[in-house]
Amino acid sequence: MVGAPATGKTSLVQRFVKSIFSERYHSTVGVRIERKEVDADGTPVNLVLWDIEGQERFQSVQTSYLRGAGGLIFVVDGTRGETLEQLASMREQAHGAVGDVPCAVALNKADLAASWALTPEQERALGAAFPHVLKTSAKTGAGVEAMFGWLAAAMLKAPAGA
Amino acid sequence: MEPRPPASAPDAGSRVRIDAFGLSDVGKMRKENEDQFLVASLHKSMQVHHTSLDVFTAIADSQQAGAYLLVVADGVGGLGGGRSASSAAVEALASHIANAVRVYFNRDTDVEDAFLAELERGVDLSHQQIREKLGQSASRGPATTLTVVVVAWPRTYFVHVGDSRAYLFRNGALRQLTRDQTVAEELVDQGVMTEEQATRSGLKNVLTSALGGSEIKPSLGLVDLARGDALLLCTDGLTKHVTDQTITAELGRGEGAEATCRRLVDDALAGGGSDNVSVIVARAAS
Repeated sequence: MVGAPATGKTSLVQRFVKSIFSERYHSTVGVRIERKEVDADGTPVNLVLWDIEGQERFQSVQTSYLRGAGGLIFVVDGTRGETLEQLASMREQAHGAVGDVPCAVALNKADLAASWALTPEQERALGAAFPHVLKTSAKTGAGVEAMFGWLAAAMLKAPAGA
Repeated sequence: MEPRPPASAPDAGSRVRIDAFGLSDVGKMRKENEDQFLVASLHKSMQVHHTSLDVFTAIADSQQAGAYLLVVADGVGGLGGGRSASSAAVEALASHIANAVRVYFNRDTDVEDAFLAELERGVDLSHQQIREKLGQSASRGPATTLTVVVVAWPRTYFVHVGDSRAYLFRNGALRQLTRDQTVAEELVDQGVMTEEQATRSGLKNVLTSALGGSEIKPSLGLVDLARGDALLLCTDGLTKHVTDQTITAELGRGEGAEATCRRLVDDALAGGGSDNVSVIVARAAS
């Protein structure tokens, strides 16, 4: 899970793994690790989720956390357009560290429709640039299972060593 | 899916001296100290001096990468049960981790995820041992918190159950690595209670997860240390009486680990010493 601070990475993981949501904000220090077994197209997959501390600028310390990852979810706060700004460079550096692994973009906080800051053009551009883009809400759970499920299936299909 | 390769991070290739020290005090109100702590360094036992074989060169390299095991545990249960629980937890965990770290040092295998699983397994084994030795406890039986940190420079793994804490002190700022597993914290998370209400509530002392208790929910994480960082592990005998600001100031003095431990314990005693207090400080040289 990669993204700027306070985009909802931890909340997405907690929703997915424990079916809970809290409005309370705790900034992650380093990496929090959770596990969940999912069914990906009939195959059980044990996902080990690394919820990585958000940073405004992608730094080398984060690439050390990424090494060995089988897939990436980039998290954008849909109510803060500025959290999109680092996405391209994050993607470049992340793939530099882990290779061309499956990746998706979660446009999070979709429940906050009145505060949504992304334009349809921006969302279309993301859709063209990334293999999978989905609106998610850790608060309501919308899109969360689908996001992780897609990634698990994509990782299974990815060639070994990708 | 492919397992993760061994960690490689900034500073990974250079050794950094770790100055670590632990201290425990019964406090002013309790008759018995039910806390336990452990500060240990871990090394491979075989020493290779010269060889033509690459595999042994790898082992020799790994010998230089000593790991440190830091543990605090705060037993609860009375009549010696708390002390027995914390002792059993630390003993079981330490022997399990010592073996797991030896596996981790073997760089022929991709073992980081396996090592993380072993950390969790060590906590679970400790939990089972307490329950077997001291009986299946109800909510008030012998039980213990457990906060474990393994420093395999620069990567630092932590696993945690209960309300003892681990902190990272970096660039003058103190950040809590662990989250207290208490009823009050859960109620704040659920929006039922404010943080201010939680600090005044008796529920802040009621654990939702404890070794030997009815349920354990180990939380797991990692962080890469940098030169000049310090780690603090402590039981709640410290944090009941010493504010984050004071802890920050004490760590910010830049003294050795032993001196910092003594200052923190003195601060807890000066603040009331209502509970056993245990602290471990580990400083990475600048």
